[in-house]
Amino acid sequence: MKSGGKLERILESGVFAVTAELGPPKGPNLEVVQTKMGLLTGVCDAINITDNQTAIVRLSSVAACALLAQKGLEPVMQMTCRDRNRLAIQADLFGAVALGVRNLLCLTGDHQCFGNHPTAKNVYDMDSIQLIQMVKRMRDERLTQGGDPVDGPMPLFIGGAANPFGDPFEFRVIRLAKKVAAGVDFIQTQCIFDLPRFKEFMVRVVDRGLHEKVHILAGVMPLKSAGAARYINNNVAGIKVPDEIVKRMEGAGRGKKAQAEGLKLCAEIIQEVRQMPGVHGVHIMAVEWEEAIAQITEQAGLLPRPTI
Amino acid sequence: MTEGNKIVLLGCAHSAGEVVADLAARGLALPAHVEWVSVPCGSTIDELLMLRAFESGAGQVMVLACYNGACRSVDGSLWAEKRARAARDLLEEAGIAGWRLQFCNIAPNMAADLPQWIEEFREPVVAEESK
Amino acid sequence: MIVAKRKPLPEIAANLQSTRKLLIVGCNTCVAICLAGGEKEVAVMGSALHLALRNTNPAIVITQRSIERQCEEEFNAPLAEEIAAHDVVLSMACGVGVQTLAEQFPSAIVYPALNTAFMGRPEERGIWSERCAGCGNCVLDKFGGVCPIARCSKNLLNGPCGGSEQGKCEVDPKNIDCAWQLIYDRLSRIGQLDRLLEVEPPKDWSTSRHGGPRKIVREDMVL
Repeated sequence: MKSGGKLERILESGVFAVTAELGPPKGPNLEVVQTKMGLLTGVCDAINITDNQTAIVRLSSVAACALLAQKGLEPVMQMTCRDRNRLAIQADLFGAVALGVRNLLCLTGDHQCFGNHPTAKNVYDMDSIQLIQMVKRMRDERLTQGGDPVDGPMPLFIGGAANPFGDPFEFRVIRLAKKVAAGVDFIQTQCIFDLPRFKEFMVRVVDRGLHEKVHILAGVMPLKSAGAARYINNNVAGIKVPDEIVKRMEGAGRGKKAQAEGLKLCAEIIQEVRQMPGVHGVHIMAVEWEEAIAQITEQAGLLPRPTI
Repeated sequence: MTEGNKIVLLGCAHSAGEVVADLAARGLALPAHVEWVSVPCGSTIDELLMLRAFESGAGQVMVLACYNGACRSVDGSLWAEKRARAARDLLEEAGIAGWRLQFCNIAPNMAADLPQWIEEFREPVVAEESK
Repeated sequence: MIVAKRKPLPEIAANLQSTRKLLIVGCNTCVAICLAGGEKEVAVMGSALHLALRNTNPAIVITQRSIERQCEEEFNAPLAEEIAAHDVVLSMACGVGVQTLAEQFPSAIVYPALNTAFMGRPEERGIWSERCAGCGNCVLDKFGGVCPIARCSKNLLNGPCGGSEQGKCEVDPKNIDCAWQLIYDRLSRIGQLDRLLEVEPPKDWSTSRHGGPRKIVREDMVL
């Protein structure tokens, strides 16, 4: 066991895993965190806490994860390379592990121009692949990036992201292979709406035998409306919602009807990806709609979650 | 120094020059407050000429160049238009209203139009004066 | 070359409200090529400043000069008397030139007229783009001659990130190419794509500006 944590145990046991995202508040509002924790308890195996997602300042992932760990939930800490250099990253990891965090998702991070502090200096001292490599070394060799011994074990299950929908497509699988070579244990993909492209990606992944070296969780996101779908297409690089889906959402009407359709669609996508070889779980990103997770997992036949 | 009455016509000899000569031949001289400055081609027009016109007391400057496609230097009139736009931006930064600098394409046979254009160009100034 | 752009006129004029005698000094090297601070631009600046200050400082006297290269003292030296005879010097050189003038003539008040931006190349007339970030440890051999430090918005060494779409960078798809698409294409073309299979380790930033302001001393050249 690399981390001994619940997520690792579930994936290693071959159970189809469910992880979900919790977006922290734009301030020290613990009530929000607690409310969302309540919504996600029992409907997923582990909870990702985002790290200044889209470069918008929020309560830090390490703090929120410590809270989750305290309450007996399984946090997945997210860490980007945008805001911290290698010193701060390692310091935060020491703290996170000390406070009970066992899962880490290593990300490059959206550029600050997208967020609420566009005039800030960014860091990008390292990239996500170097981060994965560094954490593996801390865990397995007990050495910091600078070469000093680490005072204490670092049992972390190392995660990374994959985007089957970015360009150049041919290189995306190679980059995944690079992350595997760097030491990544699990992958959460970018939101899937384009099933054919994702299927093609997974075929190549399996071709290279990568599915035997890393656990891949397919990323999904429930759409609230056709407007949300269009917003994603126009504003979020790296995700494309195909026309058929936009039309389907348009046909569903508005408000509660549209939301219901979005949930149904999400559950369908989960059922589809579950059939694909190499997919070991699903990662549900219901941005500012954490209530939806319970409904989606119910509809997709993923409940109850096992206790391992 | 500026925002006075004078209008400077800064024009290409091949088109605007012909028009001015044509008007003179017909006994229709340009009004007293209009000064005519000829350049050999639109491609020789730059911001400095336009700014210096304002410095020397012009309240308005009209830049005239051949129509695109009719310019003997191929891109000359396009160049003049870009320079006029750049000069206008600089004028705005200097606190001088951009409408005081205008760019027009003109052909040698448009003598009938120029006096009208000048009158229309002057309207905002006349309006300000009568306030 | 160094690429710069003229500062907004109001910003320049703000420092000159009570200046009696202004000396504008242009530079005929990099900033002349990027059409920001050469002889022509000096003349335009002089005229524009007269217009901008026509109400608040109409009596300002403006002298215009242009020299070969402002970053070398020997070219600036002939200006010594004139600099002393003016209240303010407005340098239309890049930041290096401005500072050279200020260091060479420490009693003078020297203001910059340009915003110096980057080391880059002209792409076509009127368009210049960044190519080199001066990291102090050139790795262009590893990336097919495309620099990920200067041209990738996140200076990734194991790119691309998830925001590469149709060869463009999500930070500014209109103006920024995805450096990693360029690297991928170039390495494919020259048959060196396997370079990208190795994980590039974290960069040693100590050779860059992050390590402190740099100096190169060629002992063999210093007499």
